[in-house]
Amino acid sequence: MYRYDEIDREVLADRAAEFRAQCARRLAGEMTEDQFKPLRLMNGLYLQLHAYMLRIAIPYGLLSSAQLRKLADVARTYDRGYGHFTTRTNLQLHWIKLKDMPDILDELASVGLHAIQTSGNCIRNLTADPHAGATADEVDDPRIWAEVIRQWSTFHPEFSFLPRKFKMAVTAASADRAAIRVYDIGLRLHRDDEGALSFEVLVGGGLGRLPHLSPVIRDRLPVRHLLSYLQAILRVYNRHGRRDNIHKARIKILVASLGPVEFARQVEEEWSLTDKAAVDLPDTELARIRAAFAPQGFETLPAVSTPFEAAKSSSPAFARFARRNVLAHKQSGYALVNVSLKAIGETPGDCSSEQMEAIADIAELYSLDEVRVTYEQNLLLPHVKLDDVPAVHEALAAVGLATPNIALISDIIACPGLDYCALANARAIPIAQDIARRFADPAQAENIGELKIKISGCINACGHHHVGHIGILGVDKKGEEFYQLTLGGSAEDDAALGQVLGPALPADRVAPAIDHLVEVYLRERRTGERFIDTFRRAGLTAFKEAVYAQAH
Amino acid sequence: MKVLTANRLTDGEVVFWTGEAWSERFVDAGRYDNDAAAEAAEAHAKGQTTLLVDPYLIDVDEVAGGWAPVSYRERLRALGPTNKLDHGKQARGGEDIALLAHAHGAARSKGRVDLIRRK
Ligand code: SF4
Repeated sequence: MYRYDEIDREVLADRAAEFRAQCARRLAGEMTEDQFKPLRLMNGLYLQLHAYMLRIAIPYGLLSSAQLRKLADVARTYDRGYGHFTTRTNLQLHWIKLKDMPDILDELASVGLHAIQTSGNCIRNLTADPHAGATADEVDDPRIWAEVIRQWSTFHPEFSFLPRKFKMAVTAASADRAAIRVYDIGLRLHRDDEGALSFEVLVGGGLGRLPHLSPVIRDRLPVRHLLSYLQAILRVYNRHGRRDNIHKARIKILVASLGPVEFARQVEEEWSLTDKAAVDLPDTELARIRAAFAPQGFETLPAVSTPFEAAKSSSPAFARFARRNVLAHKQSGYALVNVSLKAIGETPGDCSSEQMEAIADIAELYSLDEVRVTYEQNLLLPHVKLDDVPAVHEALAAVGLATPNIALISDIIACPGLDYCALANARAIPIAQDIARRFADPAQAENIGELKIKISGCINACGHHHVGHIGILGVDKKGEEFYQLTLGGSAEDDAALGQVLGPALPADRVAPAIDHLVEVYLRERRTGERFIDTFRRAGLTAFKEAVYAQAH
Repeated sequence: MKVLTANRLTDGEVVFWTGEAWSERFVDAGRYDNDAAAEAAEAHAKGQTTLLVDPYLIDVDEVAGGWAPVSYRERLRALGPTNKLDHGKQARGGEDIALLAHAHGAARSKGRVDLIRRK
């Protein structure tokens, strides 16, 4: 993976020192809260309901063992010994003290971590396919391009005060595991018959109050022009984005109001006036970054592993884990091992310091020192030898991290909601816990198959509810927590926004409603259909009746 | 009835104005039945910029055994998160915490007076 060089390290040290001085001035009363707030936000520090919350960037979801150990250490020393992984693959600590922040930033900087690009109207920390460098279905390693964009966008002076925040996602695979259609810019790499790489550029996706799936505005952009083209997109947005209305300030509104064709035309026009050579990355620099992601340390192994096969036949629990959480690697004899942060009854995305340390140890021993964070709030060990999967499973089980439920009904995305978030209307976590408990039986969950439930505590949609197979949105009805269900959404290749099922339900009716929806699916499904397939074929009515007939 | 609350600058802890000092416990909060007095207290708190972030008034109501914030959001601020009962103020336990945790009645999540939603 990419290691920060001297320049990166200096930038981080400077940043930490600058914030130390700013904190001191605030505490001494030399700055008002209004003056200080934008500065603390630029360093990832939010004020939530019970305390400050620190959002730490995990660029494109990639962590080394040393970095994960440091996160564990910071969470234990300065917080309550746990952290919460988010849908933007960042880590949030919910009990931070302002007076500790300068030391925390120093600690993070010592392993190349920081909170830059986690807040404000800038280009945010970007996300990428968590299977990068390990999956057979990719045409290049998307981390290379994610790192290029990270370096270009960090503190970019022209794009530090955009009309609104700006999020990007990158993939190089045929399957979309980075939700590229729900972000301001989605990039998908293609390789043509001659081997040339190009980007499919999607612009104007986003969830929140006015959800949009992004249209393609450029079909094939030669990769060498990535940065100049991104600059052209951002210039058009910076110029015409709706700064007058916070609800209309995201680029999705601009793209929707101009139409993708006109938006694309304006970008092309801007781009044609750009001195591309001055902006695009020199080949030498690209080669340097590419080298950092060259495959390293893989052994030549047979495709079939005797210990792995033996463990599957001797242990049904391991066999289930292998079916649900273990995926084929592009390298023969290796596997990707998903680590579910959705143990039944626990908070989705939460991970204790002990668990982080255990995963760091496992990654160091068995996964070439790498861990990934997925937008579905799980972790992933990308490079595990099949021979080692039984040992990895055992080590994960010892710390409660071997739940075999990836992509199943209990693998629920939930934002912090009203338990922590100052913007929330309703709680999200207890709803997720209720549903997971109801479907705790792994055989039942496996019989139901792939079913993605996504919960947000307010319309800001950090929990991606619009694109859940079942989406759940917390709303405030006369001061009580209510939940609006949507069906049929997806953030993947079949991306779609969900349809509202009916009137919002009180909290205690949500898990029973999920039960009814699942009953309809099990009754109606045809061979090979997932929940969402049955919904798309059969339509809303049967599902609606099942929930609302029971609700009275 | 109103109560004045804020977050403490140094650590973000939720605090309540007793009438003389800031307390971490809701049970210690002074109650105002007079809007002018409440607003005067709020204005005074807004001047305590090295101590507090964002002081504001909340509505409180009588419940069985005492008083509780009207809004569910403010009850959570006075207690802590419901997914981790060993975190936040509720971890300390006691009668005042039990009263808040079991308070029924019309919880209005917009219980903050003059709520301005900020980013
Ligand atoms: S969706 Fe709303 S409640 Fe949930 S984390 Fe985002 S802003 Fe907070």
